[in-house]
Amino acid sequence: MLASVFAKTLRDNWRSWVIAVASLSAMLLLSMWAYREVDLSFYMSLPEVYRSMLGIPENADVASLAINAHMGSYGAMTVAAIALGMGAASIAGEERAGTIALLLANPRSRTHVLASKAASMVLLVGLAILGLWGAIHLAALALGISIAGLHLGALTLHLFASSLFYGFLAMAIGAWTGNQGAGAGLAIGVMFLSFVAVGVLPLVEGAEDFVKAFPWYYFNGGDPLLNGVQWGHIGVLAAASAVLATGALIVVNLRDLKAQSVGGTFVDRLRASPFAGKVIGRLSGSARVSSIWAKTAAEYQWLLAITAVYTFLVQGVMLGPMYAAIPEDLLSTFSDFPEVMLALFGGGDISTPQGFYQIETFGMMAPVVVMVVTIAIGAVALAGEESRRTMGLLLANPIKRSRVVLEKTQTMILFAFVLGFVTFVGVALGSVIGGLGIDTGHIAATCLLQTLVGLVFGTLALALSAGTGRKNVAIFGAIGVGICLHLLNGLAELNDAIAGWAKLSPFYYYLGNDPLNNGMNWTHAAVLAGVVIALIALSVLLFQRRDLRQTS
Amino acid sequence: MSDRPAIHTERLTKHYGKVRALVDLNLDIPAGEVFGFLGPNGAGKTTAIRTMLDEIRPTAGRASIVGLDTHEKSVEIRRHIGYVPGDLAMYPNLTGRDTLTYFANLRGGVDWSYIGQLADRLHADLDKKVGDLSSGNRQKIGVIQAFMNKPQVLIMDEPSAGLDPLMQREFQKMMREAAAGGCTVFLSSHALSEVQRVADRVGIIRRGRLVAVETVSEIRSKAMRRVEFELDSRADASVFEAVAGVRDVTVANHRVALSLDGDMGPLLKAVASRYDIVDVSTQEADLEEVFLTYYRDKEVSA
Repeated sequence: MLASVFAKTLRDNWRSWVIAVASLSAMLLLSMWAYREVDLSFYMSLPEVYRSMLGIPENADVASLAINAHMGSYGAMTVAAIALGMGAASIAGEERAGTIALLLANPRSRTHVLASKAASMVLLVGLAILGLWGAIHLAALALGISIAGLHLGALTLHLFASSLFYGFLAMAIGAWTGNQGAGAGLAIGVMFLSFVAVGVLPLVEGAEDFVKAFPWYYFNGGDPLLNGVQWGHIGVLAAASAVLATGALIVVNLRDLKAQSVGGTFVDRLRASPFAGKVIGRLSGSARVSSIWAKTAAEYQWLLAITAVYTFLVQGVMLGPMYAAIPEDLLSTFSDFPEVMLALFGGGDISTPQGFYQIETFGMMAPVVVMVVTIAIGAVALAGEESRRTMGLLLANPIKRSRVVLEKTQTMILFAFVLGFVTFVGVALGSVIGGLGIDTGHIAATCLLQTLVGLVFGTLALALSAGTGRKNVAIFGAIGVGICLHLLNGLAELNDAIAGWAKLSPFYYYLGNDPLNNGMNWTHAAVLAGVVIALIALSVLLFQRRDLRQTS
Repeated sequence: MSDRPAIHTERLTKHYGKVRALVDLNLDIPAGEVFGFLGPNGAGKTTAIRTMLDEIRPTAGRASIVGLDTHEKSVEIRRHIGYVPGDLAMYPNLTGRDTLTYFANLRGGVDWSYIGQLADRLHADLDKKVGDLSSGNRQKIGVIQAFMNKPQVLIMDEPSAGLDPLMQREFQKMMREAAAGGCTVFLSSHALSEVQRVADRVGIIRRGRLVAVETVSEIRSKAMRRVEFELDSRADASVFEAVAGVRDVTVANHRVALSLDGDMGPLLKAVASRYDIVDVSTQEADLEEVFLTYYRDKEVSA
């Protein structure tokens, strides 16, 4: 065992695990608390396909519902995703960064290095899952919810075996190809595909048995939380992991190591082709370097595409027919949701289509989606060029610093409006398909306010980035302030004593006037726009005044 | 040609907290000169350059380029300069051509046929992604980028890092040609041989302070010679050290090597009076030796 490689891998990765375990625990606590207050019959009457995908068993009680809904779906995916991230990075990541040569210049074999990294991955996955196991116990204890009849240990063991499987899968692909992106991407693809398959296939007649071809089945297919450890399933996962780990250790010794590389994309291959090259070159090459804003847009086009498709389909179009499918009498059970939960998800009367869209889309996800894009651009736009040390070269051109700030902001604003527009089209379409009859003008007003509130936090990240030159300060600062102001707005709605404080939160100017029902409030829009403009001006000022950072 | 200096600094000072990265730098560099800026790692060369580019702002003092204040008129200045930053980093996902197009667009267009000539001279591959290039080949893109707008002033921080000797020669030729055309070249380097070959004057910076500015020919004229004797018998260092102008005497059995500052006559007389000289060779010290000696002396006196 290479103690130093093992220890360095631990040191490089423990933070993301701590953050993941802490946030999963907090979310679990919140949802157990919320579920405690809810009439669960609603879940039982959901269409079976939804229940199956959410991992909700029949005859569920509060604890099993909350634990399964979280640990069974995105909790398990989060743990597996971090594990496979580590797995993919183990050798291929060092090749990509160009550090592999230095590492292997030491008298240690590739096998040793990979084995040490695998060991630290196993240890971290184990510790994280133990932490979650403890958190569930603590949450149940704190809320006075009984978990006596549940096989928590069994779920934990299944989670451990399953996460390691994806970790070793990514490690094997990375070790074989030397391509970190391929390792992580393929393993995530396998994970999502099998998650969906396990939810859907049992509902399709004649296809029930195919589910056994998907690894997710061996994690949750036997519902270990209710039924205890399925040793056969654990055996399958363990055997597959062992094969993958052994395979990784063998193949990593067989191939040539790659030198530092940025890799090629499909577009690059097209550009290299003598036939397509000219056209593609003009489309992808000259356009993306035509200006600072265009280059920024090119860098974030994939983030925009993914978030736009997600918002359009999941947050927009699909919700309309789903709402229409919920039986009338069930809608009243929504009002059993604790008020504080509703307030935190943006409030709204769930028995109306407007309230439903407010809870599902506009309350939380829609502004979050815009913020993901605006904060990414705002934080990385300036500080990213500094940490990658390209800012000096960029500013050697005869352009003002303010132009760099403003052009990058231009991309941010453009993308925010694209997302707002996509949300508008998605929700309006969903409303039409579901026959919900939400006023189109009101949807447009809400989406405009959504765009503006997203820009408030994007420009906040920009100002932090401009003032400090540090990417992490900008990202975590904007997210932290966003969460606090969101909580402030939600809590102020519940507590009359602090009701006036809501006006300090941008979220108040977003949904405070219930735009889906009441339409546009131009004063609120003006407040948000004013904050955005002020933050942009502040960014320009801060960026002009300070020394550029030379290193990260 | 204007009579104002191409680069002028006045008590230019930069502190990072308690660290005095640059102290009272005074420079006057006329148009058309190649100025070598020499110093060991961490001496303040990059700090000086970044201050001139307005990347960082001086704690005190001021600088001007082509007569324009580096802070007030930084945008106007950048129309007239080419810059190769130290430890060059570029956008790894762009090809060389994309990178140059990007900067050309920001400059409002450049002469692409000239870029073609530059690329040919340096054997640069413009169609590969910058991230896939070796450091020397990446450096070529940076050099082309600096030369492409035919600047009045070239400011380059260790520009030949990673270039092979043939490319270094070609690059030095390019610098000389630019200077012959009136361009001022500010060349920060620790590659003394390069500075010796291209520079008209040399500034030596150490611990943030400019310790000397001299023309290369001045330094040469001051320069000592290396003299090596082969003698018939075992040599005694004290005999050589007694002669005026002699230093750095090393004795290895019958062989003696020393540095001589001054006339050869007294040395030869002193040696011939004690030994039979089997062989004597002498060569002019290069800048490197001068430089190292210079530093050693300063180190001792500091």
